[in-house]
Amino acid sequence: MNVKFLNPFTEAVQMVLEAECSLSVQRGPLTMQKSSMTAEEVTVLINLVGQVEGTVLYGMNVQTALNLVSRVMGQEFPELNDLARSGVAELGNVITGQATIKLSQAGYESQISPPTMIEGKDVEISTLDFQRIVVPMTTETGDIIVHLGLRESRAAV
Amino acid sequence: MNVKFLNPFIEATYEIIKRETSYEMQRGQLDLETDPYLTDDLTVIISLVGAVEGNVMYSMSKQTALGLVSRMMGQSMDVMDPKVQSGIAELGNVITGRAGIKLAQRGYETNISPPTLLVGNGAAIYTLDISRVAVPLFSNDIAVKIHLALRASIRGDTGTLDLEGPSVPRQL
Repeated sequence: MNVKFLNPFTEAVQMVLEAECSLSVQRGPLTMQKSSMTAEEVTVLINLVGQVEGTVLYGMNVQTALNLVSRVMGQEFPELNDLARSGVAELGNVITGQATIKLSQAGYESQISPPTMIEGKDVEISTLDFQRIVVPMTTETGDIIVHLGLRESRAAV
Repeated sequence: MNVKFLNPFIEATYEIIKRETSYEMQRGQLDLETDPYLTDDLTVIISLVGAVEGNVMYSMSKQTALGLVSRMMGQSMDVMDPKVQSGIAELGNVITGRAGIKLAQRGYETNISPPTLLVGNGAAIYTLDISRVAVPLFSNDIAVKIHLALRASIRGDTGTLDLEGPSVPRQL
């Protein structure tokens, strides 16, 4: 995992959460993880393909997901239903889209996959031979843990 | 989910598993699943980006994973260790790569992402606005389920992000 791919994502989280949710976001301490991670209650998974490739995961608890989606949609969501799931996944999609625009400005063209949502803490998520940089993004409505398992693509260079 | 994207994956799974493990598989009943996918012991997730986009998942029991990797590596594996996990992820990668070639031959150029592996059962996976078709493939000893949530790409919709939001005041 190349650290230069980090800032586009942390900036995109800050930018999108401020625009969509009127939230200010603080970045927590970085860690590097090699082993598989235990899933959070809610995880949005999006893959990158192109000159940067790999996996981006946004993990959070259910309450944080509900808080975020309530702010995005401007109405209270008491439970994680299909509309709320769609909202949380879309937030991940928009953040990742913004990050790839920044990556492209830095000379790395990539495309993003449609999001997948994983619900339930009973699984381990492994990015295999991709090391992950993990950065918690803290807001007043809860934390979003961003996992980046990315590398410069060998094929595209 | 467009069913025409199905056959390349069924063929690729059959061909690669036969080539790598000599298991001859049969295809079971196709199913459009509306509930989320509840994870089996092991699930490989790979995304497609390009003219066809979405997610592909290959799910199996621990026993199937051990059976497949034992044959791939030519030695008996009886514990679910990182080598087995890596072998199954690679199998998913090769199958999806071959399916991608078949899609390209049908006029759909796509690129595939590196695999992600989920270990453990009982989590719910939502493919959200792309519906999911599941196809079981099995032999006497092993069973693999292919889950496809794919669509023809709607390029042009991506990239145009309205960060301002609607110009209607929100009640928070």
